[in-house]
Amino acid sequence: MSQLNEQIATYAHEKRLSPQTLARWSAWSEEDQAAFLVVVQVLQLGENHLRDFLDWLEEITARDGGTARELLTRADIHQPLQSTLARNDKLKAVKEALRRIRYPRLSRLEGDVRAAVKALDLGNRIQVSFPPALEGEDITVELKAHNLQELTDSLRHLQQRVEDGALQRLFALFDEV
Amino acid sequence: MQTYQPSEILIEQGEENTPVVQRVLTRLPHVPVRIVEKDWERKTPARTSPALSEHEPFAAGKRRVLFTRQRSTFLEHCPAGTSGLVCCNYLVVSLISNCSMDCSYCFLQEYLANNPTLKVFTNVGELLSEVAGAVDRHPERHFRIGTGELSDSLALDPLLGFSADMVPFFAARQNVLLELKTKSDCVNGLLSLDPKERVVVSWSLTPSEIIDTEEHGTASFAERLAAARQVQAAGYKLGFHFDPLIEYPNWEEGYRDTIAQIFSTIDVRRVAWVSVGSLRMTPALRTAVRRRFPQTRILSGEQVPCGDGKWRTFQALRVKMYRAITGWLKEAAPTVPMYMCMETAAVWEKVFGHVPSSDKEVARTLTQPNLAGV
Repeated sequence: MSQLNEQIATYAHEKRLSPQTLARWSAWSEEDQAAFLVVVQVLQLGENHLRDFLDWLEEITARDGGTARELLTRADIHQPLQSTLARNDKLKAVKEALRRIRYPRLSRLEGDVRAAVKALDLGNRIQVSFPPALEGEDITVELKAHNLQELTDSLRHLQQRVEDGALQRLFALFDEV
Repeated sequence: MQTYQPSEILIEQGEENTPVVQRVLTRLPHVPVRIVEKDWERKTPARTSPALSEHEPFAAGKRRVLFTRQRSTFLEHCPAGTSGLVCCNYLVVSLISNCSMDCSYCFLQEYLANNPTLKVFTNVGELLSEVAGAVDRHPERHFRIGTGELSDSLALDPLLGFSADMVPFFAARQNVLLELKTKSDCVNGLLSLDPKERVVVSWSLTPSEIIDTEEHGTASFAERLAAARQVQAAGYKLGFHFDPLIEYPNWEEGYRDTIAQIFSTIDVRRVAWVSVGSLRMTPALRTAVRRRFPQTRILSGEQVPCGDGKWRTFQALRVKMYRAITGWLKEAAPTVPMYMCMETAAVWEKVFGHVPSSDKEVARTLTQPNLAGV
């Protein structure tokens, strides 16, 4: 067994990776296996996260060409790994970067929607949220008020946003993919 | 398109002399035959089935044909109907369970994962009696019944010859349409039969580059189109199902060209309906696809989990695809009824500008134009 295989097998054993997950990883080229091992060790990925990474890396390379190693050495993936962030924060940063590559249009739309919500400038007593992956496209508006005056002010604020077209523009974003 | 060749024929005891078995034995004299006991499949745990000794059990299972009786009802509501989604009130009958083809995205990989064989039901007469019982008892109602739920409706017709039973039966009835849904060009068995405007032969279609890379063992786009022209000339109505819609880098060009080619070739007046439906997969199906087709690009679109647990292209992009494709279809065939499969009311509203009031309304828009005045 090569040193690489041994390292992967040891990691798989420590993290109790399923045989299917290990087989998928081991089916990659040695170069890709090695590049992934570096990431996996830094982030200490368990079965679920590791499988997510395998899925996305394979899907991206099937779509765009290239190799997993090339993806994993991109600056937006590599830099968080090298940073002084805590492990969980590194994992979050790397996964978000990979998700943006995996879902470019969805990520762009989500970013546009977040920016449009921020631009509504509704203050911290009105929360606007949207469903995961924008599936359903319903926007949820949540108001907090500790008295009638505050509630009235918030409703007036929302009404202004309806009248000035800002909320309409928010809904229209979903047609701009 | 390659002709289907099973590696083995299994015949349930007592079914040896049924017409379909006799036909097949005549047509395939060199394929090994084994008589098996009743309920052989139930008694043969999938993991000890001979198919599973092969590297790829699901694919190997497609090559083993089992002739057996259907012991439960044939006629069912389409199982794709799901709470929360708009449905078209379709009914299905299955004479065959499993498919000789192997599309990378096919739900049978999950639905029949433990099925070691391709099953053919021998009791066709009982199927026809069951349908007659439902249809003849309600002459005031219109029915739409398809045979392409658990298999391709025509891919095995050269071998099994079921169309000779089905077409005359449905042609003789005033209130029902039979749909034969296929990705094959196996239409020869239909050409000498008179459908009397009661039979719709429909093709599931994707652009050529998807057919060539993901729809293994199916007819090419050109072959399907040639077959459509043949059955059109023989008096059949046509249907086209752009389902599943596959999002890939050149999807707009691909679908636009596909639609243009279809409607420059066939007579739009013979088209009974068209449908669109997004690629949709359960998590288990995605796992099966990944394992069986590691080179596929089917999973590389921007698919996300939806409310019914299935993964689809994210909604805004899905709506964009639907609008584009239904727009081209409307241009090419403005009066042909169109519907969506397994979509929410919200998406119907965004694409068509209205939501059907009920499943029956959808069904009426499909049956009325095709049964009126006949």
